[in-house]
Amino acid sequence: MALLKRGSSDPTAWIGQLPIPGRYTAGLAGERFFRGLKDDGQILGARCPQCDLLYVPARQFCERCLSELVDWSDVGLTGHVVTFTFLFRDYDGNARAEPETVAFVGLGDGGLVHRLREVEPEDVFIGMPVVAVLKPADQRTGSILDIAYFRPAEA
Amino acid sequence: MTVRFESFPGTALSERDFEEGRVLYVRDDLLGRYAWDTGVAIGHYLNGLRAGVILGGHCRHCRRTVVPPREFCEWCFQPMDGYVPLLSTGTVNTFSLCYVTWDVQRLSTPEIPAVIEIDGASPLCGIMHKLGEVDPERVRVGMRVQAVWKPVEEREGAITDIRYFKPIEEA
Repeated sequence: MALLKRGSSDPTAWIGQLPIPGRYTAGLAGERFFRGLKDDGQILGARCPQCDLLYVPARQFCERCLSELVDWSDVGLTGHVVTFTFLFRDYDGNARAEPETVAFVGLGDGGLVHRLREVEPEDVFIGMPVVAVLKPADQRTGSILDIAYFRPAEA
Repeated sequence: MTVRFESFPGTALSERDFEEGRVLYVRDDLLGRYAWDTGVAIGHYLNGLRAGVILGGHCRHCRRTVVPPREFCEWCFQPMDGYVPLLSTGTVNTFSLCYVTWDVQRLSTPEIPAVIEIDGASPLCGIMHKLGEVDPERVRVGMRVQAVWKPVEEREGAITDIRYFKPIEEA
């Protein structure tokens, strides 16, 4: 008798769960960037004069020449759609009732990936001017979701 | 810190920095759910534990009994020949005094994981479990121990159906 047959009352699987709590801190530059968003409602960029690049979100160092970036400034809330996509599934892979539009919004020489709302999917186009809609100041927590979404900028 | 560095560059953060809002952070709570397939031999072994028996697997060719049982003999690679009920007693082969939990919290009373050679299995064949009802100072390699089982109605076909192993009182 070889042990090749599963017994009918044998447990077939061990079911368990592993909680994975995490805290993500944004780093020195990220901390300053998100403080700017939370406290002042600003999107901050950092200019590298040598490379003539405006980094958004602001960074501590230029990734091209590695010099420290000290010239920080508010780049405003208006950008343009660089690329976009529609999400028909949620994080768990279930179908969404309404597709979500996600865009890479160009700001300075960088930009942010964020939600696009107040626009019909068929009306979105590359190059479309969009503006960030911020949460009310008392609801902001220093997260990228302090920007509720982007919407088309009024012409 | 090390011979060459008195301190590492960087920004150290304490729990209070988070509590008092000095640093922005995003918290997330992922939950990793899993189902680990027991396989044939371990499935039967766990079912044995539910019945209060530690089962081994026997290879007739190698005349060897291993615990927990496996489907194949790791010496001759042939299928094992059958299950053998073993005793609930054994000998501490090695142990550790563990002062941290799985999620790195400090413990004042240590957990005592140990490998226990089960009576009836071949020499050096044993299972990993915990020791209990014992002064950590008194645990020794070679110590005789016995399984403390959960009551029948609480058993679920899991290794935790044995609560821990405790020293056998010397007569």
